[in-house]
This record gives sequence, structure tokens and C-alpha cells, in this order.
Amino acid sequence: MSELSVSMSAAGGLPQAPVLPEAPAKVTVRNLNFYYGEHHALKNINLTLGANRVTAFIGPSGCGKSTLLRIFNRMYDLYPGQRATGQLMLDQTNILDGKLDLNLLRARVGMVFQKPTPFPMTIYENIAFGIRLYEKISKSEMDDRVEKALRGGALWNEVKDKLNASGLSLSGGQQQRLCIARTVAVRPEVILFDEPCSALDPISTAKVEELIQELSENYTIAIVTHNMQQAARVSDKTAFMYLGELIEFDDTSKIFTSPSDRRTQDYITGRFG
Amino acid sequence: MNPIYSRRRRKDFVIRGLCMAAAAFGVTWLALILITLLYNGIAGLNLEIFVADTPPPGSTEGGLRNAIVGSIIMTVLGVGIGAPLGLFAGTYLAEYGRNDKLTSVIRFINDILLSAPSIIIGLFIYGAVVVPMRGFSAIAGSLALAVIVIPVVLRTTEDMLLLVPNALREAASALGLPRSLVIKRIAYRAARSGLITGVLLATARVAGETAPLLFTALSNQFFSLGLNKTMANLPVTINNFVQSPYAYWKQLAWSGALLITITVLALNIGARILGAERTAK
Amino acid sequence: MAVQSDIIDDAGPYDRAKALSAFKLGDVTFYWITRLSAISVLLILGGIIVSLIVGAFPAIKEYGLSFLWTQRWAPSADPPVLGALGPMYGTLVTSFIAMLIAIPVGLGIAIFLTELCPQWLRRPIGMAIELLAGIPSIIYGMWGFFVLGPFLANTFQPFMIKIFDGVPVLGAIFAGPPSYLSLFNSALILAIMVLPFITSISVDVFKTVPPVLKEAAYGVGCTTWEVVRSVVIPYTRVGVIGGVMLALGRALGETMAVTFIIGNSFRISGSIFAPGTTISAAIASEFAESDGLHQSGLILLGLLLFVLTFFVLAAARLMLMRLEKKAGN
Repeated sequence: MSELSVSMSAAGGLPQAPVLPEAPAKVTVRNLNFYYGEHHALKNINLTLGANRVTAFIGPSGCGKSTLLRIFNRMYDLYPGQRATGQLMLDQTNILDGKLDLNLLRARVGMVFQKPTPFPMTIYENIAFGIRLYEKISKSEMDDRVEKALRGGALWNEVKDKLNASGLSLSGGQQQRLCIARTVAVRPEVILFDEPCSALDPISTAKVEELIQELSENYTIAIVTHNMQQAARVSDKTAFMYLGELIEFDDTSKIFTSPSDRRTQDYITGRFG
Repeated sequence: MNPIYSRRRRKDFVIRGLCMAAAAFGVTWLALILITLLYNGIAGLNLEIFVADTPPPGSTEGGLRNAIVGSIIMTVLGVGIGAPLGLFAGTYLAEYGRNDKLTSVIRFINDILLSAPSIIIGLFIYGAVVVPMRGFSAIAGSLALAVIVIPVVLRTTEDMLLLVPNALREAASALGLPRSLVIKRIAYRAARSGLITGVLLATARVAGETAPLLFTALSNQFFSLGLNKTMANLPVTINNFVQSPYAYWKQLAWSGALLITITVLALNIGARILGAERTAK
Repeated sequence: MAVQSDIIDDAGPYDRAKALSAFKLGDVTFYWITRLSAISVLLILGGIIVSLIVGAFPAIKEYGLSFLWTQRWAPSADPPVLGALGPMYGTLVTSFIAMLIAIPVGLGIAIFLTELCPQWLRRPIGMAIELLAGIPSIIYGMWGFFVLGPFLANTFQPFMIKIFDGVPVLGAIFAGPPSYLSLFNSALILAIMVLPFITSISVDVFKTVPPVLKEAAYGVGCTTWEVVRSVVIPYTRVGVIGGVMLALGRALGETMAVTFIIGNSFRISGSIFAPGTTISAAIASEFAESDGLHQSGLILLGLLLFVLTFFVLAAARLMLMRLEKKAGN
């Protein structure tokens, strides 16, 4: 069984580098529970996201990994009848605090979605839009910031000649990188990726994965993925979730080579999911 | 051939024929109306229509300038007052109040107002504006039109905003945008052509409305721009001229009718083209 | 804690808080503007009801329930005698005849458009029908007055009168003399006006039928008509009835298309070729020159019309909502 997973992870290009030293906690989750109305969707979750680390969340559909991600920026607040209990800290800020300014929180915790969601405006405006919300800066400074953000999204070379084209005119993979650039532009501290590659072709996927690795130098990253190789390729830590519970949370290399829980092993070897 | 089957075939054939006849029937009316309108309307369509005011009884010269200007003023005012209200109300229904009890009540009432007889709206404004102001006025006419505009714009706004994918709203919220900016900068922009369609349709609807103006704006023979007095307008002028004994007035009524119909159909077609563009995207 | 780099430089969270608080007021204001606008819809309905009741009050006090069954309408008598029977009769009869014509034709067009029509013809015909709905009602009225009325009085009416002469019941319904101004002429104009409503709603609800259902029926050898009759119409019945009720609501309250050609006679006649009046036509032709009790009586007529159409339209909406729910599941 473990041989199988080793060969699989080798094929997936598991970084064989030694495990990174334990990073200081950026986000701390303690006894977190979540409810959709009556439905108890997340049960007693405990984990930490290390600063400047990539943490991957894997598990079968409906295990609650996306739900968990959407608590980190309180996205669930847009919908009625959903509530969370427990403790969730971003540095010293209590994310679950009812009085917390959600817009401020979301500026600190950015999110990239499953499907690319460029705004119905030009490429330039897609980026400048978010910046303008928080800062009054000159045109030349703005040009600078837009370029930086697009470089940060590894998109600059492809779009520098058509910044005034509609964001919707880009290909799917470019749109997704535009969304990443847009998120980076407002200078968050944490970036959440909710299955960012599930709508992309393999080449675009590779580009986005590379980008995520680069971004981890400056940001704390959480990524939900259906693709186990992807988790193995990009993440430092992996959390395996099943039926609303956190089954196992450990270094990615450990999860994919010698998981300690039977269910984790079954999942990563393809027994279910 | 099996007799039962051939009977079924015959019946099917007859009904198909009847359905086609029905379609031909519907299209024929449209053609007949448009043809007579064009035939009778064009005869009197000349520059005088646009530069001369409505003639006194018996006169054989004069145009519709005052009525055209009055109609434009009241339509613009009516849409200007009603469209923002409808737009904001539709925004509430689609954006803030999606799961409200209030929303379903308002939607229901709005759908009824959407098809309520327009003459009732005229009676309402008569009681609510004309009586307290002690007189017919252009502003009363505009308000009556506004009351008709609101439900039309509300309905299309809500429908169009509901078509904007939630993912776009989430993405904007995830950047830290306050709710109102998510709506104004993202949702409105994504639904823009649909929202304009709604306003165009509402304009088309009120441009030819007659019943609510009969006893709010009334009408008169003169050119006036004052909003607190009666104001000439095309539909009521047509109404008065059609039933008159004077041939020249009847001719003016035909020309006015042609102008209104062309305007209204152009607005309708424009709205539809815009709407089609949105769905094609 | 965050690593400093060329991307994250000077901007701290503190600046953001300040920038965001500038939006706070606008955010709350916008919410309340939209909410109050939405509530204004309820205020309009309330305003309509209150203003109609207040305006009609003198007439209600004067005539009470007898208003409903008095046929005489003599506003210049002293004291004025007002009864709603004539206009109510005219309203119901014209709407009934209009629906009698418009329902089969409207449904026929809808079936043609959804089941029979070649694809390339679908858009132009659909568009023509929708444009018919866009023409202002005064144009219909004018056209009816100048073109349709004379035409009917010279051809169709004499023909029907001759055919049914001496036949019991029908002879009375189609009794002469032919007239430019009549209940039947108004009803025909109304039918043409509401036709597009029935068609476009029926087309919409026919589209909610799952294709598999239709395919299954065609699969066992049904003809087009059999599929329509035993699958499409049963499946969409509530929606079609809703659309018909909506059209009925329109017909009951339509004013300008009818006013010119109905004749404004408050006397009830058994023949549909005789002049009559409807509630809205009575209001349209008399209101501007009315005062006192006469005016109040007209507003009371308006109140009756509003109550009538409110219930018809409410029923229509409830039925359409039921179909929507079904289609949603």
C-alpha cells in the first residue's frame, strides 16, 4: 500500500526536499463547528495555517473542505441560515467576531474561485478597481501597481499590449491568473484558493501551480483541491477531511507516504472519493 | 392504411392547419394596422407638424409641435422619476432581500400593478395630486406615467440582476468591497444592457399611454412649458381629434398616431436587440 | 509577521480601515434607498386603494349597494341617479367575447410557434406578435373607429344578423341594426390586443415542458396534436390558465381601445351589435367634465374595476407561480 502511494507521489513530482521548519501560525482554528441551518457541516476542526506556507485541503466531495475555506474570509455571511462556532484567529484578530468589519477582513484574506470571475471591465480596470478602493494614488503609480500585480499573476507578458481589452476576452487560464493578480493587487496576507484549476486545461494548471508556489514566498496560502497530485506538488502541509471532520493534518510528504489514518490511506490510494 | 390511424392523421392535419391560420390571423392584424397607419399618417406628415401648434376648431392649418414637446417632457419626467425608483426597488428585491418575506409580498403586488388598468392610475393621481393641487398639471401627468414605469423597471431589474452569477458577487466581496459597491460597480455593470432594456421598454409603454393623462395633465391647444399647468400631449390630442367633426383634425390625429407608433415600435425593437445582445454574450 | 518584500511594502491595514470607513455611510444609505424604493410599491398600492375609497365615499353613502343593480345613469338629473349595471355588463360581455376569440387563436399561435413553425420563421413571427403587444392602445381604438368599425358594420354584422334571423336566443344576440359602435366591435379589438399576452405566456410555459416527456410521447407514435393535447397542455395547464387570466385582467381594464367604438350607451341591450359601455370607457369619456356626486360615482366605478381586476390578476399570478415552482423542481 505504501509502495503504491510512493510511486504515485513520485509521478506527481512530490518535492523530496527536507520538511521545512515549523512556521509561525498565521491562522489558528480551534474547535470550529459550522452549520447550514440544522445541518452540522463541520465538526470540531483544529489546525493552523503556517505563515508563508501552502496548506492543501483534500477529501471527497461534500467533506466540508470548501466550507472551511469560506469561513476564513466569512464568505458564508452573504447567505442566511449559516453560522460558525469556535475560535478562528488571523494573527490577533478573531475572524468570527460578530462586530468585525468583514470588508477589512476580506481585504486581508483574498480568495480565488473555482471558475475564473473576471469583472465585466477592462483588464487594467480589473486590477485597478480593487486598489482604488483603499488607496488614492496617481495615474503613474497606478500603472505601476497594475503592472506589478499582473507580473505577480504571471500574466504581464501576455496582456501588456492589450490592457484596455475586456477581461472577458482572455482565455480561461489567463482569466484565472487575472483573478489571482487582482487578489494580489490589494495586498492581502492570506490567499484562499478554492479548486482554482478545476476549470483549466493542463498547461494553464501548471502555470497556476507554479504561481502558487511563488506566491507562498510572500503570502500564507490555503488551497482546496480535488486533485491529489496537485496537493502533493504545491503544498507544504495537507489536511485530509472526511464527512465534516478533519481526519489528518500533517506535512504533505508524510500524508502522501505514510498516512497514519486508515481513511487517509484509502483516499489517497483511490479506494474512494 | 389502418382506419384509426388515418383518422388521427386527418385530425392532426386539420389542427395543424388551424394553428397556422391562427398565426396568419395574428400577423395579418399587425400588418393591417401598420399599413392603414402608414397610408393615412404619411399623407399629413410634413414640416408643419413639427413647427406649428395645434389648430383651433375648423382651421385647416397647424401642426402638433406643442403636443409633441409636451409628450416628450412628460415622458422624460415620468421615466426620470419612475425608472430610478423601479431600479432601486428591483435592486432591493434581487440583492438585499432575496430571502425576505417582504420581497415576495412586494414582488406579488408589483406584478399586479404591472397589469393594473392604467385608467385606475389616472384616478389615483387625480385624487392624490390634482385635487390637492387644485388643478390639472403636467407634473400630475408625469407622476401618473411614473407610477406606470415603476413596476416595469422593477420587474426587469430584478430579473436581470438575478441572472448575474453569484460567483461574480462573491469574487467582488472577496476583494473587500462593501455590499453597495458590489452592486453598483459589479452587478449593475454585468447587467447593464438588461437594465437599459427595462428602461426602454418602460419608456415605450408610457410614450403612448393615454388613459392616465386624460384627467391629470389634461391637454390644451397651446404651447407651454409650465409644469404646474395643463400641458398639451400627443395621446390626449389624438383622443380629442379622432372624435371631432373636422377633417383636418382627423388628419392630424392619424399623423400623430403614426409618430407615436413609430417611436414606440423603435423603442421596443431597440430594447429587444439590446436584450438579444446580452443573451448572446 | 508577514514577510516584507517588493509587493508588500508600506500599506498597512490601518490605512484600509480608514479608506473603508469612508464607504460605510454610502453603504447604509444605499441599502435604505433601495429598501424604501421597494416599500414604495406597497405605498402605491395603498395610495390607490385609499384615494379610490375616499373619492368614491360620497357615492357609496348616497347609493349604497343599489349602485350595483341600477341600470339608469342620469348624472344631470336632480338628484343624479347613478347605477353601475350598464358599464359592468358591458365590461363583462366585451371581455368574455374577447377571450372567446383570443384564447383559441392565442393558443393556436403558441402551438404553431413551439411545435410546428420552421426555425427560421420563429423569430419574425414571434417578434410580430410581440410588437402587436407594444402598439399603444389608443392606436387600436383609432383604428377600430376609422377602419374596423365601418368594415364590420358593412360586412360581418349584416351577414350574421341575416343568418340568425328568427333563430331563438341567437337571433336576439345577433340582432340588428348593424352599427359602427358596438359591444362586438369593442370585443374584437380587445381580442386583438390581448392575443399577444396569451401567446407569449403560453410560449413561455410550453417551453417548460421537459423534452423527454414530449420525446416519449412522439416515441409511442403520437401525432403533433396528440402530444400537445395529452402532454404539453396537461403539463402546463396552470400556467396557461394564468396567462389567460392575465389577459382577462388586461381586457377588463382596457380603456382607450374601447372608448371610441363602444358607443357610450348605459342602456343594456341583448344584442352584441348594439352600443354599450364599459367601466373604463365611462370613466374616460365623462370624468374630466364631471363634478360632485357624478364624479364620485365614476370613482366608485373605478373602485369596482380595481377590485375586479385585482382578484383576476392575483389569481393569475398565483397560478403562474405554481407552475414556476413545478418547473423549478
